[in-house]
Amino acid sequence: MNGYNFAYLDEQTKRMIRRALLKAVAIPGYQVPFGGREMPMPYGWGTGGMQLTASILGSDDVLKVIDQGADDTTNAVSIRAFFQRVAGVETTTATTSASVIQTRHRIPEAALSHGQILVFQVPIPEPLRFIEPSEQETRLMHALEEYGVMHVKLYEDIARYGHIATTYAYPVKVDDRYVMDPSPIPKFDNPKLHMNEALMLFGAGREKRLYAIPPYTRVESLDFEDHPFEIQAWDECCALCGSETSYLDEVITDDAGNRMFVCSDTDYCMTRRGEVA
Amino acid sequence: MLWPGLTDPVHDSQRLFRQILQAMSEPGTLHNLDLDAPPEVAPIGAALWGALLTLCDLDTRVWIARELDTPALREALSFHTGCRLADDPASADFAVVTPTTLHTEIAFATGSDEYPDRSTTLLVSLDSLNDQGPWQISGPGIPERRWLDVGDGEALMGCLARNHTQFPRGLDALLACDARLTAIPRSSRIEKCLKEDRSCMSQ
Ligand SMILES: [Zn+2]
Repeated sequence: MNGYNFAYLDEQTKRMIRRALLKAVAIPGYQVPFGGREMPMPYGWGTGGMQLTASILGSDDVLKVIDQGADDTTNAVSIRAFFQRVAGVETTTATTSASVIQTRHRIPEAALSHGQILVFQVPIPEPLRFIEPSEQETRLMHALEEYGVMHVKLYEDIARYGHIATTYAYPVKVDDRYVMDPSPIPKFDNPKLHMNEALMLFGAGREKRLYAIPPYTRVESLDFEDHPFEIQAWDECCALCGSETSYLDEVITDDAGNRMFVCSDTDYCMTRRGEVA
Repeated sequence: MLWPGLTDPVHDSQRLFRQILQAMSEPGTLHNLDLDAPPEVAPIGAALWGALLTLCDLDTRVWIARELDTPALREALSFHTGCRLADDPASADFAVVTPTTLHTEIAFATGSDEYPDRSTTLLVSLDSLNDQGPWQISGPGIPERRWLDVGDGEALMGCLARNHTQFPRGLDALLACDARLTAIPRSSRIEKCLKEDRSCMSQ
């Protein structure tokens, strides 16, 4: 611990973030500003997610950290080691054993259960930012539910490509009110946001915004009657575990450019291989 | 006699916060907060006292309803949390009230359309709280519906049901009786059900 408070953040900062979290779950999908603190890692490393994790984490929690579905990337390993050091918590790679899961860019394949908390690292919290750079204006658009521009953007895709080209950070509407950026998860994961049993918290460190989806909340991906929302699909199955239903990454296997498709969720893939063996 | 603080401020407040967070994200679920209760003569029970200790500090303003306002509560709050006591309910982050308080209309902060989070959270002290009763709530955090008995609830539920017409502005509420706590955030839809036929009337 050496001079750090439990879970690194001081108690006053935790209380400020905790009060903001209560507002976030009370107004699902609404971005609550918070007075973020610097974390001992650069912004690209998920400092928003880390501040939320630090504010909720207790000594009896079991923490899992994933980056693009994997527990063993530099980013995931560093964050896991950080919380082991400053909070002394038990860690795991098993989705089903974790009470808190911090994630960058994926929702685990295994169904989450009641009582679990999923903390998302968010680079850009505002789904309307690419249309309107002014925070004052986007606030007003949310206040007035003025979301037509979002549909125009998606429809331009259809006009140009014949389908909606957005595949990551695909916008959703929470409980039929706020349009929300689900963070850069593949749209494959969007249906998991709907009526999930777990509590989902989103933290953006640079912009100092946090938002939430309570368990059992309706979440719809934006779409059109003649172009309904669809998730990615593959002709291949996972080369390692044979899954036909998981999100696949294409990996190059040798210098000759041979490639194969494998599960992006490493815990899911290893669990399946263990069960098959 | 001074009211008790948290035995282990860091870990106790974390544990209590997780219970409060779960209450607010799953409205209508009951949670027992485990902490040293304030003295028997105190106007509020353990759960509300635990919520105040967990959530309040130098940056928060607390408004106390007249029927709960005692020198001992003021002194204990200031001593343990350092919070400021508000005279104007519209400036309060938290308001400690009873259902009776809400028989008169009080101008708490409900936030703005752009910043609906700049609102007062009600901490409501109840005489009874059970998960079977005439009040049906539904909405985010609730698989289908949950039921609550909050004792004398007409004014309280009327006040919270008004949230629905002005959402996203509104009031969130933590409701407690002794050590037991539940929450009704502004996202909840509230109906009163008549016992005979379970038909519901929107508030
Ligand atoms: Zn696999």
